Amino acid sequence: MIPRRTAHERVIGPGVVPHGVDPEHDALYRGRTARGTVTDEVLRGVRGRPFTIDGKAREKAPATRTQTPYVTGTSALGLKYAGGVLLATDTLACYGSTKRYKSVERVKRVNDKCAIAFTGELSDFAYVCDLLEELTTEDFCEDDGTTRDAEEIYQYLTRVMYNRRSKFDPLWNSFVVAGYDAKGEAFCGTVGMIGTHYADDHVAAGFGNHIARPIFREFYKPDLTEEEAVEIMKSALYACVMRDKQMMNKFQIAKVTKEGVSIGEPFAVPTEWGYEKFYNPTKFSPGGW
Amino acid sequence: MFDAREDALAGARQHANWSPYDNNGGTVLAVAGESYVICAGDTRMSSGYNILTRKFEKIDKMSGKTLMASAGFAADAVTLKKTLKARCKQYEFQNKREIGCVAFAQMLSNTLYYRRFFPYYAFNIVAGLDAEGKGAVFTYDAVGSYERTNYSCQGSGQALIMPVLDNQLKTVSPLVLPAASSATPLSEQEAIDLIKDCFATAAERDIYTGDSVELWIMNAEGVRKEEMALRAD
Amino acid sequence: MSGIGSGYDLSTTTYSPDGRVFQVEYAGKAVDAGGLTVGVKCVDGVVIACEKLVPSKLHKPGTNRRTRAVARHAGVGGSGYTPDLAAVADRARAECANYKSFYGDAIPGKVLAERMAHYYHLFTLYWSVRPFGCSTLLGCKDFDGYHLYLVEQNGECAKMRGACIGKGKNAAKTEVEKLKLNEITCAEAVKELARIVYATHDVKDKEFECEMSWVCDASDGEFVRVPEDIAEPAREAARVAAQGDAMES
Repeated sequence: MIPRRTAHERVIGPGVVPHGVDPEHDALYRGRTARGTVTDEVLRGVRGRPFTIDGKAREKAPATRTQTPYVTGTSALGLKYAGGVLLATDTLACYGSTKRYKSVERVKRVNDKCAIAFTGELSDFAYVCDLLEELTTEDFCEDDGTTRDAEEIYQYLTRVMYNRRSKFDPLWNSFVVAGYDAKGEAFCGTVGMIGTHYADDHVAAGFGNHIARPIFREFYKPDLTEEEAVEIMKSALYACVMRDKQMMNKFQIAKVTKEGVSIGEPFAVPTEWGYEKFYNPTKFSPGGW
Repeated sequence: MFDAREDALAGARQHANWSPYDNNGGTVLAVAGESYVICAGDTRMSSGYNILTRKFEKIDKMSGKTLMASAGFAADAVTLKKTLKARCKQYEFQNKREIGCVAFAQMLSNTLYYRRFFPYYAFNIVAGLDAEGKGAVFTYDAVGSYERTNYSCQGSGQALIMPVLDNQLKTVSPLVLPAASSATPLSEQEAIDLIKDCFATAAERDIYTGDSVELWIMNAEGVRKEEMALRAD
Repeated sequence: MSGIGSGYDLSTTTYSPDGRVFQVEYAGKAVDAGGLTVGVKCVDGVVIACEKLVPSKLHKPGTNRRTRAVARHAGVGGSGYTPDLAAVADRARAECANYKSFYGDAIPGKVLAERMAHYYHLFTLYWSVRPFGCSTLLGCKDFDGYHLYLVEQNGECAKMRGACIGKGKNAAKTEVEKLKLNEITCAEAVKELARIVYATHDVKDKEFECEMSWVCDASDGEFVRVPEDIAEPAREAARVAAQGDAMES
C-alpha cells in the first residue's frame, strides 16, 4: 500500500484532504465495499482528493493558526539594580527545534523610559511592536513633553494580552518590561500569554523561570552596581544556555537608566567544549560507530 | 462546526495545549466583628510548581467601606477589580456618594454571573462595614453565587483554614428567634491573632500559600494594614 | 443674478449658473480671516511658520497649537478655524497610521497630501456636511527628500516651493517670492519667515505668537517645533525690524 499523505490542517492541507473534512464531498463518495457494506473505515484513507482552498469551510472553522507557535524565542530576563534595569535575551528564533534565525534582536526600545523583551512567537512580537510604535508616534505627535512610562506600557500590554486570550485568539508571547514608572522609580515586570502579570525586582519569562530566577533570588540585593548586575545576568545566561536547548550562546543585554535605553552588542559567554570525548564521542563506547 | 468524529480524525495533528485559564493559587480570608472587619490574604503568586512572585497583593480597597480579596487566576482577578473600580466611580458620580459594601456585594455577584459561560476564574471575598457600622463578609463562587456570613476563607488554603474558623468562630444562626448577633464574639486583637495563626498553619501544608500575609483591618477609625512573614518555601 | 443672496449659496450641492460653488468659496473666506501661515521648502528641509492670533491675554503661551506633527516625518500648519484644523490634522494622523500598518513604511508626502485633499473634497459634496474652514500646509520627509504641499479647503492639492495662506497672504507671497528658494537653508528660512510674519502682521489685530515648526536634517527628519534657541533670536530680530519699519512709515 502506498503511504497516504495526510493534511496537516483540517481545512487546508498540503496533499490530500482526508475523509471528514468536507461532508458534502464525503457524501458524494460514500460507497460500498466489495462485499457491499458501507463503512467509514473504508472511506477513510482510501478516498480523498487533492486539496483546494475551501473558502466556505474556512469560514466555518475556528481560527487555529494562532493556537500553535511557529518561530519562537526562548527565555527573556529582567533584573533591577541601583541605577536602572537590565534586560537580557539570546538572539535566536527557532522553527520548532531548528535554530532558524540566529541574529534576531529580541529586545525593543519603546521610548526613553521603557524597553521590552519577549519570548514566544516572532511574528506576534512584530505585531505588538507595531502597536507600541503607534502609541509612541501618538506621544510624539502630541508633543506635550510627556511620554508613556514603563508601567503604562506594562499595563497596556496586559490588556492587549488578556483581551486576545479572551477572544480565544492569543498572542503567543510573554514579555519582560523594564524602565521607569511615573514616580521616576525603576520598574521591572512581566506579562504572560494569557494576561498574567506581576512586577518584581527580577523577573524571567519562559524557561528562564526555572533556571535564571533561582540565581537572581540568590544574588539579588537592592544596591547592586551595574557591573555586579551584569555579572549576575551573565551567569544566569550561562546557566540557561547550558540547560535550555532553544537557547544559543549569543546574547544581548539592554539597560534602561535615567539617561535612556541602550541595547548592547551581542556577546558570548565562555563555555568549555574542548573535552576529548566531544571530539571522538564514540571512542569509549563499545559498539558505537 | 466539527463533530467529535472529525475531531478524532484531526487528533494526529500537533496541537499545543492552550488554556485561557491558569491557577495562580493563594488564600484569602475575612472575619467580621461587631464593629470591625478584617480581610487577609497571602502574597504569593504561583503557576504550577513555580513561584512567580512573593509580593503580589490580592486585596484592594474598592470604596470607603469595602475591601475585596481574590484568589484563583490572577489576570481574571485583576481585570475584575479594574472593572468594578470603574463601576464604583460611576456609582459615585451618579449617586453623589460612595457605594456601600452591601450594594457592592450585589454588583460583584451580577458581574460574575454576567460571565456565566466564560467565567472569571476568581474566588472572591468582600469585606466591609455595613450601613450600621457592623462588620460584613460576603463570600462567592466563580459564577456569582454569594451569601453574607461573618467569616469566610477562599483559595488554595480554604480546606485547611475553614475548619479552624468553623471551630473557633461559629455563632448562632442569623435565622433563630429572638434574633441574636451572629458577629464574631472575638475582640479585634484576638481575631488578628487567630488569622495570623491560620495563615501560618496553611503555609506549613499548602505550597500555594506563603511568603507573607497582609491583613487589612477596617473599623470606625478607618483602614490599617499589618503584615507578617510566612514560610517562603 | 447669480451672486451672493441669489439662493445659490445655501448648499454645496448646487452650482450657481456661472459654475461656482459658493459655500466652498465662503469656507475660503474663513481661511483668509485666520492668521497667516507661511511655508517654504529649503535645500535641507521644510519650515512652516504661523501667525497665531491670541484672542485673550489669559491664554497660556503655547496653547492652541497651529502646527501639529501627524507622524514622525510629517506635520501640518494651517489657517482658518482651528477646530477644523484639528479635525483635519487628526485625520492626517489616522491616514499616516493606516498607511504604516498596511504597507509597513512611512507614508510618502504625495500620498498623504492626496488623501488629505480627498478628505477635504468629501466635505464639499454633500448637503449634510459643512466644508472645512481651514487650509493646510503639509511639510514632509519621505524616500525622495523633503516636500511642501498646499492642501486647500476646496480639496485642491499642489506641491509648492513656498506657500502662504490666511490673513495677509498676498503681502507675504510677495516676500516669499523674493527668497532664493533654490539656495535657502532652513536656518535662514526660520529668520525670513519670522520676519515675514512680523512684517505682515496687521497692527489692528491684537497679540499674536509666531509659531514655527520644521522637518529638516537638523531635526533628524522629524517634524518638530523649531528649537527655542534658534526660533527666539529669529523672532526677536523680526520684532525689532517690524518696529523699525513702523517708525519709518
